[in-house]
Amino acid sequence: MTVSLDGVSKSFGKSLVLDDITDVFADGEMTALLGPSGSGKSTLLRIIAGLTPLDSGRVRLGERDVTSSPARERHIGFCFQDYAPFRHLSVFANVAYGLKVQRVPRAERKARVEELLGLVRLEDFADRYPHQLSGGQRQRMALARALAIKPDVLLLDEPFAALDAQVRGELRSWVRSLQRELGITTILVTHDQIEAMEIADRLVILNEGRIEQTGKPSFVYDHPSTDFVAGFLGPITTLWGISYRPHELELSLDGDEGEKATVTDVVRLGFEVRVVLTNQTGESSWVQLTHDQAKALNPSIGQRYVVRPRSARGLIEQDPTKRARS
Amino acid sequence: MKKQSLLLRVLVLAYVAALLGIPLLFVFQQAFSHGWSELWAALHDHAMDLAILLTAKVVVVAVPLNILFGIGASLWIVRRPSRLSHVLDVLIDVPLAISPIVVGLVLELAYAQNGWFGPTLAKLGWRVMFSLPGIVIASIFVSLPLVSRQVIPLLREIGDHQEQTAATLGASPIRIFFTITLRSIAWAAAYGVTLTLARVIGEYGAVLIVSGNIALLTQTLTLNIGANFENFNSYQGFVGALLLAFVSVAVLLVIAVARHRLERKRHDSFA
Amino acid sequence: MLESLPTWSSLPVNLLANHSVATAEGPSLRWRSPRAVRTVEKSSAAAAKGLVLFYISLIVLIPLAALLTNAFNHGVGSFWNAATSTESLDALRLTVTCSLLAAAFNALAGTATAFVLVRDRFWGKSALNAIIDLPFALPTVVAGVTFYTLYGPHSPFHVNITGSWIGITVAIMFVTLPFSVRAVQPVLESLSGDAEAAASTLGASSFYVFRTITLPAILPALLTGTGLAFARALGEYGSVVFISNNLPYRSEVGSSYIYSLVSSGQVSSAASVALILLTGALLVLVASNVIARRLARRRG
Repeated sequence: MTVSLDGVSKSFGKSLVLDDITDVFADGEMTALLGPSGSGKSTLLRIIAGLTPLDSGRVRLGERDVTSSPARERHIGFCFQDYAPFRHLSVFANVAYGLKVQRVPRAERKARVEELLGLVRLEDFADRYPHQLSGGQRQRMALARALAIKPDVLLLDEPFAALDAQVRGELRSWVRSLQRELGITTILVTHDQIEAMEIADRLVILNEGRIEQTGKPSFVYDHPSTDFVAGFLGPITTLWGISYRPHELELSLDGDEGEKATVTDVVRLGFEVRVVLTNQTGESSWVQLTHDQAKALNPSIGQRYVVRPRSARGLIEQDPTKRARS
Repeated sequence: MKKQSLLLRVLVLAYVAALLGIPLLFVFQQAFSHGWSELWAALHDHAMDLAILLTAKVVVVAVPLNILFGIGASLWIVRRPSRLSHVLDVLIDVPLAISPIVVGLVLELAYAQNGWFGPTLAKLGWRVMFSLPGIVIASIFVSLPLVSRQVIPLLREIGDHQEQTAATLGASPIRIFFTITLRSIAWAAAYGVTLTLARVIGEYGAVLIVSGNIALLTQTLTLNIGANFENFNSYQGFVGALLLAFVSVAVLLVIAVARHRLERKRHDSFA
Repeated sequence: MLESLPTWSSLPVNLLANHSVATAEGPSLRWRSPRAVRTVEKSSAAAAKGLVLFYISLIVLIPLAALLTNAFNHGVGSFWNAATSTESLDALRLTVTCSLLAAAFNALAGTATAFVLVRDRFWGKSALNAIIDLPFALPTVVAGVTFYTLYGPHSPFHVNITGSWIGITVAIMFVTLPFSVRAVQPVLESLSGDAEAAASTLGASSFYVFRTITLPAILPALLTGTGLAFARALGEYGSVVFISNNLPYRSEVGSSYIYSLVSSGQVSSAASVALILLTGALLVLVASNVIARRLARRRG
């Protein structure tokens, strides 16, 4: 089911948290709402869920205008950052909660919960209580609980933020494949650009309550429309006043097309090597080399190189209207 | 949704106003009902003034003793736990479950002439029952846990890392207590002390038994109010009640500030 | 075991002291031997502990022991006769009934009050929050005479509830009002609201959310608070004595009956009834704590 937002605005007191947000989330698509903290992304998610009232604008689920419907009538699945487990209920009862609200008959309920627990691989934990689960298990329980009511849309608020790095990676790809399998429209809030690019079909990048840019992750990464997006999605460096990704710059020992500069620092991070260089006027850039490139060049402090971009085009399209807005 | 919460608010306000607000205002209304000059005269009632003096004496002895006990016991229970301190931890709350009348009774059984210590005390020439010491002991009994109940949870919550840091910097235990521990528990202690003060001033049942309720001699202010009321001199009783109502409003203010400070402190250091 | 180890507070001081001996030319004036420091600290701590125990023994433990022996000093038979006399049983029954009513009503009203204090926003809310503690601050006797004047034979509202269970229950409601509010309030504050929001996204109505999510979360605290209120109510005297009229067999509560026994010199009988009342209050406290803890343990 599609989710459409039309001119959604929201203020808390005097501060404008969301400013005229208009966007459409396509059916079956996984979208990441990406932005720094305070960008309004969680508020937007809560507005879609009906947990926070909006000041103006409309929210539509498919053809249905739900702007003034309370959360309980929207039929969406929502996973909270802290998973919001019902602490006094067993894992089974947590997952069964929504079905009980719908008065699904006991036998059917049991079958459905067992099916879901199998789906999230918690069959053996049905009788446990939330505090007896690990963070990852709790997250899967919350997901099963949200999916139990067969929601039209799945909303995930920072679903992996509270997990340690290894579990996070595993769960991320698992959630991705589960979402593809179910084909459910999913909107995920995150401040982690790597997570967003790994998991999402489409990015919506928010900053200070406005949409900066939307699009496929690889496209947005390569063609950011503003400095903010460029800097938020990945490292940037400047040469001749133009922004580039550090891996888009190359070093050579000689040549005319390029800037002559001296190495001031070399940082080796396993497969990646970062070389910092300063030109005669004191401007510095940094270049990202692969392990093999670095091996061939063998840069060291004090060495002189010529720095030049691999392609003439800078990172950001020089669109004056978009630049002005950021 | 909005309507529901408005209804709940109105119900709660009505409930609190009926049970707490109206009685409090009524005390003021009654005390001022005869005009200023009569109020002025009633304030100079000899028996009442003596009762106020006695209550003040009890406060001056009982409250500091319970502060010392409360802080000492809290430190022992939290910072030097042992089997004995666990027993103390349980015992210290027992007075809360005992009727004031029973408190008076047990003190009589222990300290009256024909009680356990009666003969010994008589030999020494000490009088506990029907005199100041008995009233002080009864007041201490009923307010015993009020300081430690506030201090113990806070001590547990803040942990002992600050104290350990001070110790590594060479501070002596006494210096650590005054510069670190006491400062961090100050508002909790103030809260507990205020409750203690209110309870000591307000105690009725226990003091009724141990004091003998002798006008001009062993009558505290609360006993004086009760006596005036029973002697059909309710106006004089309400004048006494007015004074206590002022005290309790002051107590409420201090409690509100202390609670606010404690919450802020908790928020600052644990959020 | 703990005593034999160097304490945290003494150890680093001693290390520094030793260090200064090693570097300076001989002991400085301020130096005290570590052993001496430790001995002084240990003995003063022991003295403080001794004082604490002495104080609580003198004031609480020994008098309570005196109650126990006095209740039984004419044998178990006379204890039983005193405790189960018709007047005693009537008084205890009335006390328990009124206390239960007041505690139960305050559990309900207290939860509602805590809800309004935590979830609602309006002008004057902090004044409401402050006045909740009035029963802790206002002497019970003041409450007692005030209720008597307000709802007694000369009531300005022409409502006379003296000498009946209603008056006693109202007085007890006054003194126990803060207990459940103050027990529930911090738990409600600590709830993030996410679990309740999660339940509403699953289709639950606000009443269903309260019943299945919020209430179970506050239940342990509510039980503890109500238990405390009930135990306090069982022994209440000052606020009740005026409005109850103390009519034996009709409107005399347990504490009033004990007082009348003490006044007439029947100390052993008073001790017997007091022991029953005290045991009842302690059992209520222990039971409510155990149940609350068991409920809370399940959710870790």
